[in-house]
Amino acid sequence: MTGVREALIYGYYPGCSLHASAKEYDLSTRALFEALGIGLTEVPDWICCGATPAHTVDELLSLSLCAKNLAIAETVPGDLAVPCASCFSRLKTAQHELTVDLARRNTVARVIESPVPLAKNIKHPLEIVGRDWGLEPLTAAVKKPLAGLKVACYYGCLLTRPPEVSQLDDAEAPTIMEQVIEAAGAETVSWSHRLECCGASFTLPRPGVVVKLTAEILAAAKDAGADCLTVGCPLCQGNLDLRQQEVEAQSGVRYDLPVLYFTQLLGLALGLAPARLGLSGLMVDPLPLLKLKGLL
Amino acid sequence: MITISSSNGLEITIPHDRTHLASMKSLDGTKLRRCLQCGKCSAGCPMCSFMEHPPNRTIRLLQLKNVEQVLADRSIWYCASCQTCSTRCPRGVGPAAVMDALRQLWWQRQGRSEEKVVQLANRLFLDNIRRFGRQHELRLGTLFNLKSGQLLKDAALAPKLLAKGKLKLRQAKTRNISEVARIFARVEQLRQEGGSR
Repeated sequence: MTGVREALIYGYYPGCSLHASAKEYDLSTRALFEALGIGLTEVPDWICCGATPAHTVDELLSLSLCAKNLAIAETVPGDLAVPCASCFSRLKTAQHELTVDLARRNTVARVIESPVPLAKNIKHPLEIVGRDWGLEPLTAAVKKPLAGLKVACYYGCLLTRPPEVSQLDDAEAPTIMEQVIEAAGAETVSWSHRLECCGASFTLPRPGVVVKLTAEILAAAKDAGADCLTVGCPLCQGNLDLRQQEVEAQSGVRYDLPVLYFTQLLGLALGLAPARLGLSGLMVDPLPLLKLKGLL
Repeated sequence: MITISSSNGLEITIPHDRTHLASMKSLDGTKLRRCLQCGKCSAGCPMCSFMEHPPNRTIRLLQLKNVEQVLADRSIWYCASCQTCSTRCPRGVGPAAVMDALRQLWWQRQGRSEEKVVQLANRLFLDNIRRFGRQHELRLGTLFNLKSGQLLKDAALAPKLLAKGKLKLRQAKTRNISEVARIFARVEQLRQEGGSR
């Protein structure tokens, strides 16, 4: 690499899942960014974005919770990195809605008792690594290429939809995740269900819905010859990984498909130790697969 | 009764108060009249098989002013908000936003609906945010099971989650919890004043 890279720094909004059930996504994002020399400063006292329950029943509450976070995020430098697809979508939706609707913005400002800052770029780590940091330098930074690993990249719904809000990639034919995973030396499979919804918002009230939807996703990945799935959302990961045994019990099919965060796969390719990436936090153990492929 | 006439000629008559009017404006804004029943929304909907009224039929019922029929059915509560329909709609109707507006309308009225379980989950989820500033997954799951009378639901998952350190036993309140509580209080106050729009 020629020249000196300008240091990349971001604010960081982990969201509730990354502090609890998806802590390995938090760990691996921090480890990956540190290895790439990307600075992350967690937004102090961030609050829940309200997720699906807020926007389905109370739009003003949903917008206000997100606006409050946007206001707090002004205290940290850089664009805002948001790894959870649901938080990413909610914060960006609020930013979008409040930019086009002045009356609404005034109401929300009254609710949060401060102006609503709307200028900060909100980015998913996929675009930070794949675009801001760049694919070429990423390929050059790889120490242990994930050669021979067939990966099904799973976007789910909210990373790319609706496109005018997310602005991450083409809503029907995105490629950013495949590009990033291929830069790490892995092979990506072409498959049917990478944009289908896993039913995340029903995991508490109607787990049967989730089991049906995830069964279809896992079956499609298996049919395409994938060794594992990779995701950029804690809710997708939770459903595909945590409920996989339940799906197997109901369908009588053994999938045995580890579901890794893309940050974990990239971390491995950069030579980071599994412990730093939280691999032991996954329900379907990825270690046998990684050993079989000679990647550990 | 209130009749809302949109600029494109659609009229919806609902039993009334100002808050309902507020929500129906967002329905109006989605240009329901533009729908010509191509069915693309329902074809791509992952939740269609759980719905009595798939998205395109819901839009049609609204065009026919059958708001009450739509609200009373559980279909709207089975929309996963995945945005596939709105992304693909060739007429810019935005069925996902329509689903949100309908649910918000129901939430304000708390009328008759066959779907109670999803609403219980929503209520507990929001209550946790009000109390702690962040989500408390263990409390959410436990209270949901207690209140929905499914004590053993997902019971097999809890030990696994605990073993992996994925369930926090305690959720500390965020330092700005009083500000969070004020946000909830003001939203509620605006709703009562009919100015939440």
